[in-house]
Amino acid sequence: MEQTASVLTQCGGVCNARRKRSGKIKIGVHSKSSSAVKILVAVLLGLTVYAFISFDYKEIVLSEAISATLRNVKTVFLEPRLSSDTFRNVMYQLFVTFCLGTLSTIFGAIAAFFCSLLCAKNTAPSGVANAVKCVIALIRAVPTVLWVLIFAVSAGLGSVAAVIGLTFHSFAYLTKVYAESIEEIDDGTIEALRASGAGFWQIVFQAIVPASLSRMVAWTFMRFEINFTNAIAVGAAAGAGGIGFNLYMAGSFYFDLHEMGILTYIVVIAVILLEMFSTKIKERVK
Amino acid sequence: MPILEFQNVSKVYNNTAKALDNVSFSIDEGEFVSIIGPSGAGKSTVLRCINRLIDATSGSIVYDGQNVMKLKKRELRQVRTKTGMIFQHYNLVDRLSVIENVLHGRLGQKSTVCGVLGAYSEQEKERAFAILDELGLADQAYKRCDELSGGQKQRVGIARSIMQDPKLILCDEPIASLDPRASKVIMDHLQKINCERKITCIVNLHQVDVALKYSERIIGVSAGKIVFDGRPDELTDDKIHAIYGSDGSDLITDIQGEKS
Ligand SMILES: Nc1ncnc2c1ncn2[C@@H]1O[C@H](COP(=O)(O)OP(=O)(O)OP(=O)(O)O)[C@@H](O)[C@H]1O
Ligand SMILES: [Mg+2]
Repeated sequence: MEQTASVLTQCGGVCNARRKRSGKIKIGVHSKSSSAVKILVAVLLGLTVYAFISFDYKEIVLSEAISATLRNVKTVFLEPRLSSDTFRNVMYQLFVTFCLGTLSTIFGAIAAFFCSLLCAKNTAPSGVANAVKCVIALIRAVPTVLWVLIFAVSAGLGSVAAVIGLTFHSFAYLTKVYAESIEEIDDGTIEALRASGAGFWQIVFQAIVPASLSRMVAWTFMRFEINFTNAIAVGAAAGAGGIGFNLYMAGSFYFDLHEMGILTYIVVIAVILLEMFSTKIKERVK
Repeated sequence: MPILEFQNVSKVYNNTAKALDNVSFSIDEGEFVSIIGPSGAGKSTVLRCINRLIDATSGSIVYDGQNVMKLKKRELRQVRTKTGMIFQHYNLVDRLSVIENVLHGRLGQKSTVCGVLGAYSEQEKERAFAILDELGLADQAYKRCDELSGGQKQRVGIARSIMQDPKLILCDEPIASLDPRASKVIMDHLQKINCERKITCIVNLHQVDVALKYSERIIGVSAGKIVFDGRPDELTDDKIHAIYGSDGSDLITDIQGEKS
């Protein structure tokens, strides 16, 4: 004991340091996880290189391809113009997209609220909560667009499938985040009402809702923004209508880059407006 | 006449240590009883067994003529309705107004729908204001609870439990997070409720001097057992040290209340 202590003081602790073969002091620690990360990075690098080698480039010349792309980007963003569509119609289609997003958010939020009570540890028995969490995780693992296509099998391609699909995924997403908001509530608040003889639904609406409202509202708007952009994608993919479908037609059917430009701008403006609006509301609900 | 009777009550958490070990005592209607003891002695456990926030493992607890350990859901809610509870951390709904929190005391007596909607009668509201006035909080009624000081929050907690019209009020360390002045205000209010409304009070305390000053009877708990049960003037230094398991003068709190 004493000997090691004196050795330590003699070299000022540096003799504890591990050294590399070059004599420099090591600072990292080798572990399984760090070598796993290294292997992963190497594999990804290898795959990327392989992908580039194996692409079928046909007769594309890189310099020409880049300049053509830039020209297209220029047409889209610097020369936006409506050609085959009227402004009124575009606004109407934007409204349709907006409705797809709103409907799916509202339906999803209502279902998610009740489901989250079964999913939060402080409102449901832990067995039920875990089971619901598993189901919810499964639903969330499938992308929104895929759900729309799955429901399109029974409902046919169109807005019904779009709303159901968007709702389904929103439901799972919101259930998870609502449940987390509920779990963050101070247990004492719930306990106090329980101790005074209040029933389950009274506690839900008098303590849980007021205490987690601001978080729930913030998440709902977050999801609404996601649903709006998803509704654009779904409009194209599932023929649900809305501005997404116009974009799809302009881009890959009429090859009308001018119109694509203006549609893109309109979408961007709409998203920014939504964002501003939701920020305002979130500030209100504090 | 005893309003509360513990007979050989034991509580075991998670099949491990005994938090309560064969505890027996009885409390008469209108008494003001303090429970003192070191941290982890089982004070909170005693209170929580009474309104079944936790279930005792064995024994019997008779409260107001009913064995609470055998109650069904509906009867249990009724028992809870006539039992107020005051917490160390107030446990109010921070985002609601003071008056809404006071009215929460009525939830147990209301139908589910009225409770969910927060629909209270004018009578109930007037009563809530009268209680707030009594506690000196009438001018704060429309403030949100997170804008109040700790002492004010605790008074809202008291108002909420008076609103229940309880027979018994359980206080779990009501002044542990308050400064001495606010503590005095709270203890004075509890004493007043006890005297004027004849509501039985059981108060868990960490401050021996406060227990000596306010209570008619003190129960000392140590390691899940009752080691003292008597009037404040029977609580000598030796007994205090027995409760807190210390010898000599290594306690911060030594008797001051007795001398004053
Ligand atoms: N939920 C629980 N799960 C497991 N053990 C618990 C639980 N609650 C309390 N205990 C244990 O029971 C014993 C008594 O706890 P209790 O909370 O009644 O003590 P207390 O006297 O109120 O202490 P304090 O003064 O610190 O509040 C302690 O040993 C504690 O560790
Ligand atoms: Mg305690």
